[in-house]
Order: sequence, then C-alpha cells, then structure tokens
Amino acid sequence: MPLPRILKRIFGDPASSRKRAFLKSLDLFRDLGFVELGYLVENMHSRTYHEGEVLFMEGDIGRALFILESGQVELTKTGPDGKSQKIYTIQSGEFFGEMALLEQLPRTATATALEKSQIFLLYRSKLESILNYHPRIGVQIMTHLAQLLSARLRRISSAPGGMPAS
Amino acid sequence: MTERRVAPLLPAIMVCAGGLYCAYLARQALMPFVLSFALAYVVNPLIDAVETRGLRRFHIVLAFYLLAAFLLFLLAQYLLPLVSAETSRLQVDAPAYLARAQKFAADFQSHAARRLPRSGLPIGQLASRAYASAMEQLQLAPSYILRLFPLISLFFLVPFITFFLLLDGPLIISTLIQAAPSRYAEQALHLLNEIDASLGHYLRGILIVALAITVVSYLGLLALGINAALSIAVLSGVSSFVPYLGAVMGALVGGIAAAVQFGTPKAGLQVVALFVGIRLGDEMLFQPFIAKYSVHLHPLLFLLSMMIGGEIFGFLGLVFAVPAACIIKVLLNVAWEWYVSEARLRGHDTRSCIAVPYT
Repeated sequence: MPLPRILKRIFGDPASSRKRAFLKSLDLFRDLGFVELGYLVENMHSRTYHEGEVLFMEGDIGRALFILESGQVELTKTGPDGKSQKIYTIQSGEFFGEMALLEQLPRTATATALEKSQIFLLYRSKLESILNYHPRIGVQIMTHLAQLLSARLRRISSAPGGMPAS
Repeated sequence: MTERRVAPLLPAIMVCAGGLYCAYLARQALMPFVLSFALAYVVNPLIDAVETRGLRRFHIVLAFYLLAAFLLFLLAQYLLPLVSAETSRLQVDAPAYLARAQKFAADFQSHAARRLPRSGLPIGQLASRAYASAMEQLQLAPSYILRLFPLISLFFLVPFITFFLLLDGPLIISTLIQAAPSRYAEQALHLLNEIDASLGHYLRGILIVALAITVVSYLGLLALGINAALSIAVLSGVSSFVPYLGAVMGALVGGIAAAVQFGTPKAGLQVVALFVGIRLGDEMLFQPFIAKYSVHLHPLLFLLSMMIGGEIFGFLGLVFAVPAACIIKVLLNVAWEWYVSEARLRGHDTRSCIAVPYT
C-alpha cells in the first residue's frame, strides 16, 4: 500500500470524507475544492429526523437551508379549504428551505420526514460568515441560488396564466 | 396562517432560572469547567481550521497539546531566569526602597507641616501602622500559600477538561441539536449561533488584548529601566481580563514602583503615561474589533453585570460578567423573537420592486 494511502488511513477522518463526497455530488457545491468543502462541512450541522417528525411548519420563520442526505421529506401546504395538500416529495441529494438564506420570512410549506432521514442544516449566519471569510464558497452558493430563483421565475412566467414576461 | 399560538415561554424561563440557581450553588465545582470552556472556546477555531484538511480531530487536538507544551517549555526557559533575577534584585534592593519610601514620607510630612502647620498629618503614625499591618500579613503568608493550592490544581484540571471539550465539542453541539424537538432544531441552531457569535469574539478579543498589554507594557517598562518590569507587565496583563482594570493596575503598581526605584515622582508619571498610551492603543486597535462582532451592552448593564459578577463569584465573576451578560441578552433576544414569531405578533416586509415584470 503506498505511503500517502497509509497516512490517510491513519490520520484521515472517514466521516469528514463521506460528508465531503456527498456535498461534492450536489450541483450547489460541485465546483468547490477539497479544503473549501472542508470549511462547508465545519459550518454545517447534521441531524437525524425520524418518520413523522416535522422539520418546520408553514408560517415558521426560516433560518436554515436543509440538504437531504438520505431518506425522504414531504412538503405540504394548507389549501384554501384548510386541508393539507402535498406539493412535493424531497429525495436524497435535494435541498430545500433555501430562501431562508436570503431573507427571514415565514416558511411557505410544512416539511415532514416520511422515513428516517439524515439532513444537513446550513444556518444563515454561517453562510454570512462563509461569505466574509471564504468569499469563493459564498459566491458559488449564491450564484446557484440566483440561478435556481431565475429558473423558477421562468417556469412560472412561461406557465399558462403565469406572470407575464416583458 | 393568522392563528395565534401560545408559546411555552414560562416553562422555559423556569427551567433556565432553576439551572442558574443550581449553577450558583455549585459555583466552586464549576469554576474549572468555566475556565476550560473559555479556553476551549478560544482554541477551537484553530482546531476547526486544521480539521478542514480532513484530519481526525483526536490527532489535531493531541498535536496542539504537544505543541503548546513545547512552547510553554520554551517560554518557561526564557521566563524563569527573568523571574528569578527580578526576585533576587527585589530582595537586595528592598531595604533601600523601604528607606527611600520612609524618606519620601518624612519629607512629605515636613513639607506638609510647613505649608499647613495646624494640619497635624500623622504620617509617622500611618507609616508605623502600615509597617505593622505588613508584618501581620507576612505572618499569614503560609495560610495564603495554602489557599493557592486549589488554584494550582486548576493548572492540571483545566487542560485536562479542555482536552475533552476540544475533542468532543462538535459532538456536544450535535447532541444538543438532536435533543431539541424536531421542529425547533432550527431555532436551537439559531440560539447556538447567536451565542457563538457574541461570546467567541469577546473571549478571543480579551485574550488578545491581555497578551498585547503584557508584551507592550513589558517592553515599555524595560525601556524605562524599571527593575520589576516582568512582574508588573504580567500583573497588568492578567488584570486586563477585567475590562479597564489592566491599565489601571499597571499604572498604579508600575507608577509606585518607578517612583520608589528612582526616588522621583517623574519616573512614576512616565510609567503612568506609558499605561495611558497602552489603554488608548487598546481602545483604537482592539476594542472596535471586539465590539464589532460582540453583543452591545449598555454601559449601565455593563456596570451592573460587573458588580453582580464580582459580588457572587469574586475575580472570576468580574472576568466572566460581560460574557455572561452577553449570553443572557442573546437568550432574551432569541426568546422574544421566537415568541413574536410563534404568536404571529409581527407582519413581514415584502419588497416593493417586485412589481417590475420578470425579464
């Protein structure tokens, strides 16, 4: 076995490597380097949600971005009749609640774990800290968020009865 | 969306108050943990920064301890001969200083008697009373040394506890977030981040200030030719953990020492000027950085926290009064924000510019 591999096995942190590999697989962080992913791992928190546990409710003030590492999360919204309507099921590798990184407004949907789910939370002030001290990482994240917003707006404006585009 | 929900604020306050009361009862036992927590807090960013390279935390903490031990060993090699030299010089010079101080008191008495013949200032009486008091305190020295034993035990306990706090710090945070009810995990994260932002910068800031004051005052006192430069600089640095006290102690003790050493008030005034300069430098260079990221306390709250901290916990209470007040302020702010959001007491702004169509 080559020496670097032996050293990596002795001194390397397997949990950190697993988290890096997962984050690197996401579109949001695909352009980040090894150390930059390390900063991201340091600034994120991981939590296990069990089946039926509510992550946040419609109307709660959002303060974090959620990234689903494993499991499934259902997003529901209260309809005009007051009944809960399913709007989307988040699969592993997808992220949600990203608007909380831009502004602290009430959540527009309720998120509930459909099965045991492992989720990363990136808190708003941590992103601000990343933007201050590691602008390259911050710019990558903000660029992807802006692209996501733009894509959503295009979809809405191109849908029948959607917002008119000038 | 508009329904109002009653937030369980009262039970949370009662639990916090109960916890604080228990902490007060166990304050002696908690002291090493508080010091270790502060030390771990200061060192943790270094460990985190290395951890981003993908190394195991245990190895990083171990390497840090070995490096710190090596640096302390080098520092001791340099400082111990200096301390020894300062002590021997003080033992040799003490009678001369005492004679000079007595002469200064006698001169002052005769001067005062000439100017104010009826004042009858009992300088002689005061001097003999001070001498008797000093001898009395000297006899109590063994008991004072015995009282220092718990402090010596801190030198072993604090690094030991800090090691585990550094090692398991992220695990403790994860456990706290995992223990929070699922819906409030985000809120728990919010609270931890707010406390981290204010406390971290304050603790790291005062440590940097203390080190800077020690080094700058040592160099300044050396330049002024003060014999006990190291002792006065260390005293000033340690005192600066209590806001504003460092420069005051340095100016007071250093001023008296210089006046006695050189037998002229001018030397004392030079030392006072040095510490005024250090204080101004601290105010211009470090305080804006500390205040920028820490929670802002009103001067009255600042004073109140210091008085309460000093009254309940003594010197350590003075050191940790401001961070504790910051934590309490953050807790109250977050609790209030949470209550407002839960009870739907406040509306939210929406940008007016969204009226412009998407292009």
